Amino acid sequence: MVERAPVLDTICHAILIAGALLVCVPLYFAFVAGSLTIAEVQKVPLPWLPGDQFVVNLQAAWVKAEFGRTFLNSIVVAVGIAAGKIAVSLLSAFAITYFRFRYRMLAFWLIFMSLMLPIEVRIVPTFEAVANAALPLQWLAEMLHLGDLWKWISGHDIAIALEWNMVNTYPGLILPLIASATATFLFRQFFLTVPDELCEAARLDGASPLRFFWSILLPLSVSNIIALAIILFLFGWNQYLWPLLFTTDKDMATAVIALKNLIPRSDNEPAWNIAMSGALLTMLPPTLVILLLQRWFLKGLIDSSK
Amino acid sequence: MNRKTAFIAALFGVLAFAAPAQAARVEVQWWHAMSGVLGDRLNELVEKFNASQDKYTVVAVAKGNYDEVTNGVIAAYRAKRPPEMVQIAERGYMTMLLSGAIVPVQELMDQKGYKIDWPDFIKPVASFWSYKGRMSAMPFNSSTPIFWYNKEHFRKAGFDKPADTWQELEAQLYAIKAKGVSECGSVLPGDFYWSLLENYSAINNQPYGTLANGFDGLGTEFVYNKTKVVSQVARLKKWLDDGVLQIAGQGFSPEQLFTSGRCSTFVNSTASHGNIERNAKIEWGATFLPHENDVNPPLNSTIGGGAIWVLKGHTPERYDAVAAFLDFVAQPETQVWWHGATGYVPATNKAYGLARERGYYKDHPTREIAVLQLSRGTPSENSRGFRFGNFVQTMLAQRTEVEAVFTGQKQPQQAMDDAVKRGNEILRQFEKLNAGKDTEADGKSK
Amino acid sequence: MNAGSPIVLSEASAAPVAQPSGLTRTQHAPPGGAVVGRGAMPPRPGRAQTTKRGRPDREPGLKRANFGHGPGLPTLLLLPQFLILVFFFFIPSLRALMQSVLLSDPFGNNVQFVWFDNFKALFANGEYRQSIVTTLWFTVAQNVITLAVGVVLAFATDRVVRARSVYRTVILLPYAIAPAIAGILWAFLFNPVVGPLAHMLHALGIGWDPNRNPSDALWLVIMAASWKHICYNYIFLAVGLLAVPASLMEAAAVDGAGPIRRFFLIALPMLGPTVFFLAVMNFIYGFFETFAIIDAVTHGGPAGATNILVYKVYVDGFVNLDLGSSAAQSVLLMSFALICTLLQFRYFDHKVNYGV
Repeated sequence: MVERAPVLDTICHAILIAGALLVCVPLYFAFVAGSLTIAEVQKVPLPWLPGDQFVVNLQAAWVKAEFGRTFLNSIVVAVGIAAGKIAVSLLSAFAITYFRFRYRMLAFWLIFMSLMLPIEVRIVPTFEAVANAALPLQWLAEMLHLGDLWKWISGHDIAIALEWNMVNTYPGLILPLIASATATFLFRQFFLTVPDELCEAARLDGASPLRFFWSILLPLSVSNIIALAIILFLFGWNQYLWPLLFTTDKDMATAVIALKNLIPRSDNEPAWNIAMSGALLTMLPPTLVILLLQRWFLKGLIDSSK
Repeated sequence: MNRKTAFIAALFGVLAFAAPAQAARVEVQWWHAMSGVLGDRLNELVEKFNASQDKYTVVAVAKGNYDEVTNGVIAAYRAKRPPEMVQIAERGYMTMLLSGAIVPVQELMDQKGYKIDWPDFIKPVASFWSYKGRMSAMPFNSSTPIFWYNKEHFRKAGFDKPADTWQELEAQLYAIKAKGVSECGSVLPGDFYWSLLENYSAINNQPYGTLANGFDGLGTEFVYNKTKVVSQVARLKKWLDDGVLQIAGQGFSPEQLFTSGRCSTFVNSTASHGNIERNAKIEWGATFLPHENDVNPPLNSTIGGGAIWVLKGHTPERYDAVAAFLDFVAQPETQVWWHGATGYVPATNKAYGLARERGYYKDHPTREIAVLQLSRGTPSENSRGFRFGNFVQTMLAQRTEVEAVFTGQKQPQQAMDDAVKRGNEILRQFEKLNAGKDTEADGKSK
Repeated sequence: MNAGSPIVLSEASAAPVAQPSGLTRTQHAPPGGAVVGRGAMPPRPGRAQTTKRGRPDREPGLKRANFGHGPGLPTLLLLPQFLILVFFFFIPSLRALMQSVLLSDPFGNNVQFVWFDNFKALFANGEYRQSIVTTLWFTVAQNVITLAVGVVLAFATDRVVRARSVYRTVILLPYAIAPAIAGILWAFLFNPVVGPLAHMLHALGIGWDPNRNPSDALWLVIMAASWKHICYNYIFLAVGLLAVPASLMEAAAVDGAGPIRRFFLIALPMLGPTVFFLAVMNFIYGFFETFAIIDAVTHGGPAGATNILVYKVYVDGFVNLDLGSSAAQSVLLMSFALICTLLQFRYFDHKVNYGV
């Protein structure tokens, strides 16, 4: 803080409180609905004050949605998506901003294009791709008439040998969701702001590009990585359609799938009390992640100013 | 696997699958769209089956709502990993029937030697799910809309019960509003196109499309812009404008406006029984849907809900399991249990008779309304059901047009003309795609 | 060398014109990535040279101080990303988009090639044109609201000392909610019959009814979509503000600039890259990722008033199973979005100040 400005600070607090309220009003009503009995939750209008069934409903939601198991799946998937996406994106953003090569812009735009067809729109062919990720290899084999050769070598049919099924596996859940450019674009933006002097100095010292990446660029990026990790974890946590359509094994269901099964649909008892307490439960792990990761926000900045 | 293969397989990152060890029980999957309490009941049903014998295990997998289940099956089928059974909503009938991906249920049961009393299925149920007189899917959760009302409201307004005709009902609802008994006479159901337009047409013997509503061929065209449907839409619009009818909108179930005692009547599926019996704190009653005063006698209503389809591409042992399960589903005992547990209608006359015999309807008189309404009179060409391709798509186009009436952007006639025009384009698309597939004279043989 | 490559299509502006082509060619001569770090780099163009207009003539999106041009290492670095993209994005996407020239049943057992019938049907469709207009309104309004609120909240967070991480956590919460639940909550709060916030509006004399008033419905989905996305903008802006050197701000303060003035004169320009990133991402978000909220809040109604393009793609493909039309719409939507993004890069990426 450079100087004292009590009026402005008060206004800032007011703005933040307003923002927090804006966030909390919908959540408050989720809490109210989650604390009523099923008969109360059907009243019109909904009461403004919570009832006394919150714990009961939480327990019911926890048991019905098997959150013990589904939370675990969701954490694996969300961490996998966040870690995987950050790792591949750091590398590709580094390549795109720090190297001059022929297809640099083409590479960037190809990666960028992956933002423009959400998985929900290409879900059937993506399913096919993951049900058998070796499909392109099979086509290639077919095209090159490798089948007969393979049969001669191995005595097996090539289409069977070249099958790589990822249905009901974690990689199958995670990999298609890593395929998008958000993180690459963010790191590109960030790397472009990194002072050129750092790279020049590293080169003068004879540091290799990877060394520069590892010991200079990466520490500088910590705040952005953390911010992105939070965003990606929440993104992964909230994935619904892909895990739903893709998993056929109950043991692979994620928390949001279980939550959606709590939400009443037509012809059904409108058990919004259970659904809403379930919704609040599913927010817990993401909230913890936000709280924990925030601590590292300042780390990269402090390291770099050493 | 020899060493060479193993090496190359490892090179490609191939996961090779050994043939699964012969399991004691044959396991088959059933993907379904039931959530919440209905999902619990469905799981109970499956557990009953699994416990009833020791050869087969059915695994019920909840795959989201009907749209999500459908897409899941399509994706899995295209990837050559379909489940054995899937629950599909009534509107998907033609898509499934002509998909080339299914095994007709009756064919399967005949082949596996199960004697199912097919003619015993209640007529609108049987005619909806059968093709050329043979059942293509096993009826599972069948419902039909009935008329729910708040007894206290009617009493306070000086009426014994709701009137049988729309005209008299309108007078009653306006009286209820005028006397300040309740804030709104009725609430618009979320699936109003099903209850207030389609079932309305069947009950009032109005044609919805040509060629017996599509039963006689893919060349069918919508004609509801020339029937009483137009005045029905105009009626709903008038009620909305006068505050007699309320739209619940998103984020809130229309049913709650009725069960909370805010609105006096509600047209909704008989499957609401499960919830209303348990949770509604109002003094409620239910009766038949109203009909127009110049239509006498009113005809049967039609069904909604879902059926179990069997998919192609599995081994004979698995089809043994499927057939055993479907036989279990068709048993009168199972039907009666499901009827009582959920509020869906029993699909066969035997099951209905059994429920009656046991005095079930003495305690639950309103639960009989759906069956009585479904089997009322002799079905005409207009009340056998609806057999339109891409029926979801035509319905959504229609819903948009009706909404345009509600928002005041279009006059009812104009909107229905546009809906029919859009619907017919969609039907032609389906006809073009399925050209040459024989659907002529379907249902006439029976 | 650039003339024949797609680079020209995307970034025709600066590089190829200003760069002597002979120099470019010699730069590509050394094979492999061997040049790196030997100090044998030829003088990098742009280091000293500038064009007559005074703009540094470097390639857009490339560091001035870079590791040169060995194709080996960058290819290796890009490989993981590309393998994943090829298998799980490009191949499935191409197969999805190929549907746009087909008439097919959803199970794929009955497929007819229909040339451009699906596209023709779209252009002849008034509903589709209405959807384009709605999408533009929706995306622009959502982008402006999200970014503006995000900037204000980030600025305020940067000022306050107490309870900073509490604010940050609370403001990030909407991102922790499944979109469908967020949509249900918003639809409920503003439900004209039972919603508490709708009742407040009614008490203020506003005849709020998203079920029967198309513009109310559009505002509702804009608000709901923004609410869900403000936190995304907020977190990156907040992190960006942390990185603004205190020395610069202090120097400005000594010169007598107040906090707000300093924010606009120093901090915000330094956040340029982040703001540009967010503007593009908000645009992508509005265009492609909002259908779950639309589905929960309005179902695209009433009478198609909130039926934005991506929701239509989703409904036609996923609900109506009209794969051909849905794919054709995807092709059009992607092309449109790609053009818009290219324009954004073309006009704004150069204006963004990446130097510190």
